[in-house]
Amino acid sequence: MKALILVGGFGTRLRPLTLSVPKPLVDFGNKPMILHQIEALKEVGVTEVVLAINYQPEVMLNFLKDFESKLGIKITCSQETEPLGTAGPLALARDKLVDGSGDPFFVLNSDVISEYPFAELIEFHRAHGGEATIMVTKVDEPSKYGVVVMEEGTGKVERFVEKPKAFVGNKINAGIYLLNPSVLDRIELKPTSIEKEVFPRIAADEALFAMVLPGFWMDIGQPRDYITGLRLYLDSLRKKAPARLASGAHVLGNVLVHETAVIGEGCLIGPDVAVGPGCVVEAGVRLSRCTVMRGARVKQHSCVSSSIIGWHSTVGKWARVENMTILGEDVHVCDEIYSNGGVVLPHKEIKSSILKPEIVM
Amino acid sequence: MKALILVGGFGTRLRPLTLSFPKPLVDFANKPMILHQIEALKEVGVTEVVLAINYRPEVMINFLKDFEDKLGITITCSQETEPLGTAGPLALARDKLADGSGEPFFVLNSDVISEYPFAELIKFHKGHDGEATIMVTKVDEPSKYGVVVMEEATGRVERFVEKPKIFVGNKINAGIYLLNPSVLDRIELRPTSIEKEVFPQIAADQKLYAMVLPGFWMDVGQPRDYITGLRLYLDSLRKKSAGRLATGAHVVGNVLVHESAKIGEGCLIGPDVAIGPGCVVEDGVRLSRCTVMRGVRIKKHACISNSIIGWHSTVGQWARIENMTILGEDVHVCDEVYSNGGVVLPHKEIKSSILKPEIVM
Repeated sequence: MKALILVGGFGTRLRPLTLSVPKPLVDFGNKPMILHQIEALKEVGVTEVVLAINYQPEVMLNFLKDFESKLGIKITCSQETEPLGTAGPLALARDKLVDGSGDPFFVLNSDVISEYPFAELIEFHRAHGGEATIMVTKVDEPSKYGVVVMEEGTGKVERFVEKPKAFVGNKINAGIYLLNPSVLDRIELKPTSIEKEVFPRIAADEALFAMVLPGFWMDIGQPRDYITGLRLYLDSLRKKAPARLASGAHVLGNVLVHETAVIGEGCLIGPDVAVGPGCVVEAGVRLSRCTVMRGARVKQHSCVSSSIIGWHSTVGKWARVENMTILGEDVHVCDEIYSNGGVVLPHKEIKSSILKPEIVM
Repeated sequence: MKALILVGGFGTRLRPLTLSFPKPLVDFANKPMILHQIEALKEVGVTEVVLAINYRPEVMINFLKDFEDKLGITITCSQETEPLGTAGPLALARDKLADGSGEPFFVLNSDVISEYPFAELIKFHKGHDGEATIMVTKVDEPSKYGVVVMEEATGRVERFVEKPKIFVGNKINAGIYLLNPSVLDRIELRPTSIEKEVFPQIAADQKLYAMVLPGFWMDVGQPRDYITGLRLYLDSLRKKSAGRLATGAHVVGNVLVHESAKIGEGCLIGPDVAIGPGCVVEDGVRLSRCTVMRGVRIKKHACISNSIIGWHSTVGQWARIENMTILGEDVHVCDEVYSNGGVVLPHKEIKSSILKPEIVM
């Protein structure tokens, strides 16, 4: 089976992290975002993943060669020369997706994290005999999204309603699809929206079905949702593979610590923390609701919450970092500094406190 | 003869421009900053230029291959693995600088623009019996800098005073040096400051001389000084090669327009404007004290002052851009939008006005 992951643009909402690597390679739960999806696809028998990209292909390609070998799955890039929207890339990658086997192929939005219940999705798709299945997820405020209105019993999609003013349903498009090759006949090679142009037509032909995504879902394309997403992801790990989480007197709630990271004495770590490869967390550090990326050093007695510490950065002794502080790559916060929501671009040194949320360039 | 250009670090002060290119490749008056220096060096017979860098060598090296051919000069890189300060890089590049001929070599700070009077510098250097010559420039507020105290008649340097509290002189280090190979014997391969450690030693031996830099001088490493620097540069062009400046009813003061740029009807351009290769300035546009980089389109009736418009950006119809607005690469300001000092990172669209100076990421 094949899969297409819509990687798309510049990742500007995840700056400053995406100033160092393209978004799919930004780490989430201690591994590149896109790897979570690729591994789940491999697990259900996908043999080739096509990445639809339009930015920094060299960086992506280098990274992928690495993972092709390690994972034993073929990874190729399909590069847009002009932005093709959410459906155009499928037409562009047509030859890679249609291999003559008649098997359906997956399409994923790269920002989405979930439990990726692909085996259940395949089963549901085969059972209904329609042309396409989209996964949907329940939200509290559907009026902000595109709502999918479906027949409760069968899951057959009746229509889509963009930002409905009256209540029509609370399921929205989760950005995970399983499509028969025939869907490609409906898509021209031009900028096209899959939600606005393609799916409504398939729904009109009564060939589009929706499956409610079990488990958590999050679009982690911006820092606040990235942090919430980590909490959901670790909750899920707690249920499915609790042995991967850290344990000990210094651990509170769900905490993921890479095996090469070092944690000092007297720390209190958690809840909802990920500490990446090669990190050093010195003695007496408090970490909560944060991500510490590869190679970062958090010095003694500091306190970090609700923040993201970028690759190879340093947080000084007794520093206090909180309230959606995002440190880019190689940022060094000096001892005793306070950061209240500072967003710091790569290769900077923070020598004085940041008292209110601001960008430091 | 040889030359070393100290390119150094991350260019953070010139962000967002340096998010797209390393600082020496950022255009100044329609060509990469470093090309101004390399061309002036070639003109006095320098056959090899060494760039002391510590960041993004691949981008620099690609660019340089291009210029090596076009200019007929050898350009190599000397890459620091740890920051070596302002003197350490000389030790690192020793083998390239000391070629056995006994000739002195130039050392330049990459951020500096001036008239590069290298022929006069060579003459002055050969005229005294010292080991090193530094160029100095007069400033109004010497207390902010390192002041060079010298004997008026001979130019022999007596001492350096860092940020003097009382008046000791008004000449500061201009970042342009001509050094005998013997100076290399004074520098170890470790982080070293040429102003604080090496020059004072040579001055103590009475072998350091200073020459006052004729003409203008500016450190264009940050946007405000970049804009002032362009004014000084164009003033200088007016005196030395006025034929290169634009003329016509639509031109006020000094304006440099690349031959491949297009200017529409009814525009008023200048003073102190540079318009780069491939730019399109539509009808009725007002530009003053600004730089428009390669591939930019300025739409009808827009008004831009005291700003820098980055490569391939667009400024919409009737947009008003002023007060140190810096648009990074590929930024699109919509019609009728106002930007008062907006600093916009690459690949962004500005759909609503920026009323006070802020960073848009």
